Amino acid sequence: MIPLVLYVLLSSAMFTIGLYGLLTQRNGIKLMMCVEILLNSANINLVAFSAYLPNVNGQVFALFSIALAAAEAGVGFAILIVLYRLYGTIELDNINALRW
Amino acid sequence: MYQDYAYLIVGLPILAFVLTIFLGWHLPKGGGFFTVLATFAGFILSFGIFREIYPNDEIVHQSMHWFANFNAGILIDPLAIVMLLMVTFVCTMIHTYALGYMEGDPGMARYFAEAGLFTAAMLGLVFSDNLLQLFIFWELVGLCSYLLIGFWYRKPSAASAAKKAFLVTRVGDVMFLAGIVLLYTNMVKLNLTLPDGAYLLQFQTIYDSLTLIPPDQLTWIAVLLFGGAVGKSGQFPLHVWLPDAMEGPTTVSAMIHAATMVTAGVYLVARMFPLFYAAPNALMVVAYVGAFTALFAATMGLVMFDIKRVLAYSTVSQLGYMMAGLGIGAAMGAFSVGVSMFHLIGHSFFKALLFLCAGSVIHAVGTNDLREMGGVLKHMKWTGLTMLAGSLTLAGFPYTTGFFSKDEIIVTAYEHGAMGFGWVPYIFAVVAALLTAIYTFRLWFLVFDGEARSDYHKHESPWIMLGPLVILAIFALFMGVGLNIVNVGGEGEDGGENPFYTYVGNNFDHFGVDFEELAVIGGHHVEHGAEVHEPPIIKYLPIIVGVGGILIAALFYSRWKRFDSGMVTSERDPLRHILLKRYYQNEIYTLWFAEKVIYGIALVSNMIDLKIIDGTVNKISAISVGFGGTLRKLQTGVIQNYLTAIVLGLAVLLILIELASLGVAI
Repeated sequence: MIPLVLYVLLSSAMFTIGLYGLLTQRNGIKLMMCVEILLNSANINLVAFSAYLPNVNGQVFALFSIALAAAEAGVGFAILIVLYRLYGTIELDNINALRW
Repeated sequence: MYQDYAYLIVGLPILAFVLTIFLGWHLPKGGGFFTVLATFAGFILSFGIFREIYPNDEIVHQSMHWFANFNAGILIDPLAIVMLLMVTFVCTMIHTYALGYMEGDPGMARYFAEAGLFTAAMLGLVFSDNLLQLFIFWELVGLCSYLLIGFWYRKPSAASAAKKAFLVTRVGDVMFLAGIVLLYTNMVKLNLTLPDGAYLLQFQTIYDSLTLIPPDQLTWIAVLLFGGAVGKSGQFPLHVWLPDAMEGPTTVSAMIHAATMVTAGVYLVARMFPLFYAAPNALMVVAYVGAFTALFAATMGLVMFDIKRVLAYSTVSQLGYMMAGLGIGAAMGAFSVGVSMFHLIGHSFFKALLFLCAGSVIHAVGTNDLREMGGVLKHMKWTGLTMLAGSLTLAGFPYTTGFFSKDEIIVTAYEHGAMGFGWVPYIFAVVAALLTAIYTFRLWFLVFDGEARSDYHKHESPWIMLGPLVILAIFALFMGVGLNIVNVGGEGEDGGENPFYTYVGNNFDHFGVDFEELAVIGGHHVEHGAEVHEPPIIKYLPIIVGVGGILIAALFYSRWKRFDSGMVTSERDPLRHILLKRYYQNEIYTLWFAEKVIYGIALVSNMIDLKIIDGTVNKISAISVGFGGTLRKLQTGVIQNYLTAIVLGLAVLLILIELASLGVAI
């Protein structure tokens, strides 16, 4: 059995990658992807701990989380499409009509 | 029974105001009959109340809590009921007349709405039971006078006359308000424990606390309140708006000069008479200002050529008499309130009559200028005769109403002098009486007698206008005699003492005012038994000057002309010049005072306002804006910046927790 610490390390690595992407990128689609990576790192944690403890609650939550992520991605990409139609870009730095 | 509906006396004219202003456009005659009926209903109610309270000498007092320590209430005592009767009756006549006079004016509905509100405001002023409520109605009267004087607002002279009336009376109103505030603060200082249902500014409370307020404060209060009365009642030096108020329709002039508006000032002084009596020197101020105004205005009335202006100066002069009548109360006590109010009531009848007659003449002839009239009597018999009745009573012809009222003021002024309070009011009153007779009949002869001096329209006015004239003429001629006949053989030292004087003069007995005590405070205590017996010449002097004045006018201006005015005065006579220029009042008030002094003050104020007051405010706001503009930069609106801050914060927090768990003291 693969030791738990490896799962946690993988999860931490994915979280850090996602966070890094979120902080540095300005492209809407890249940001969405980073958010997905963050969510999935959490899912890995959930499933790993669930398997380690004999308790399925974690896996159930992971399924919920995946469904949620799908819905969020749907709404997020829809917004990006509208933004693209309006501004011709999804570089979020250029979309600043409400900024001072 | 009627007294339960006392509030309707004001309520109905207000209802008429609402109805005419909203529906008047669609109704015949602008809905004027609403106003007439409402005012007449007010008269019926007032008369009913009078019938109820007169026999037992009662008063009506209804009051309810309003806010803080103020109340709203109705007080109908002898002083108020005679005013209510007069205002409702005379206004009914004037409104009826206006149905004919205003016929065809496109603003008729507006006229009757404003006239209804004017009447309501005056009635409310009269029956207020506290000073604050009186002040509110007082301001409402001022507003309505502004609206009505400027009724023909497209005419620049009317608009400016309305503005002038409003601003000049405002000077008085500010003083009145200051007087109320001063009185209020003084009364608060007393820490009175008020009985249930009594409030601070109620007249009853004011009368009760007169002995407790310091006398020098009383004088200030009285003088400030008198300032309000001076503005409203056109006393010198705030009389300048009254002659200009002629710019409104003649019926408005009649209302302002007779029933509503100007009598409010006299009524205020009469209402606050115990306060004036208790205040040292206050009544002297009233007497001297009144007497001076009476003479001052009468001299200007002598030379005016505008029919309405002559009447306007005569009103100013007669109001001076009323004020002087109240002022000589220093010697006479509350009796003088009766005397003065009688002149007020009588004056309302004959001045309304004179104005309505003048309106009738102007309506027919189409000019205000006396020089273009003459011989009108041939074409307008009824107007001429009713105006003769009004002129006779204004001139004080024996046994007319004006004779009784003015005679009484002059005789009491004599007693005032004889008791050592000063002869000036008496002398001024007698001279003014002579001038009154002269200018009144100069007016009448110039209009109705002699030959036509221009080609004017010749027709009598319709009966809806003549009816009120006849009724008013009957009152103007016979009210005084009637009241004296009622009491022949009654009580009073002369047997035939006018019951009006005692009824209104004893008004303050209902409030338990002790005039003996107040006289000591006011410093005009008169020993009893110091009765003054005027010599016969004093008794007959008013008759002599009245009839003499009429004769002088006849000799100069009528068909029996023996002299020409050129014989006593010439073009270069400085006195005549001063009178024609109206004592340079326009030059002093407008050109010098308004345009130099006030304009200078206005410039300085404007600069202070712009530089200092506005400047401070602007600086403060500029600081806030600048500060906010700098801080705003923190809110970049870029999500990543916020996120970075969160992550960094979290990292710092985690490190701190880690260190703490390692036992490092932070």
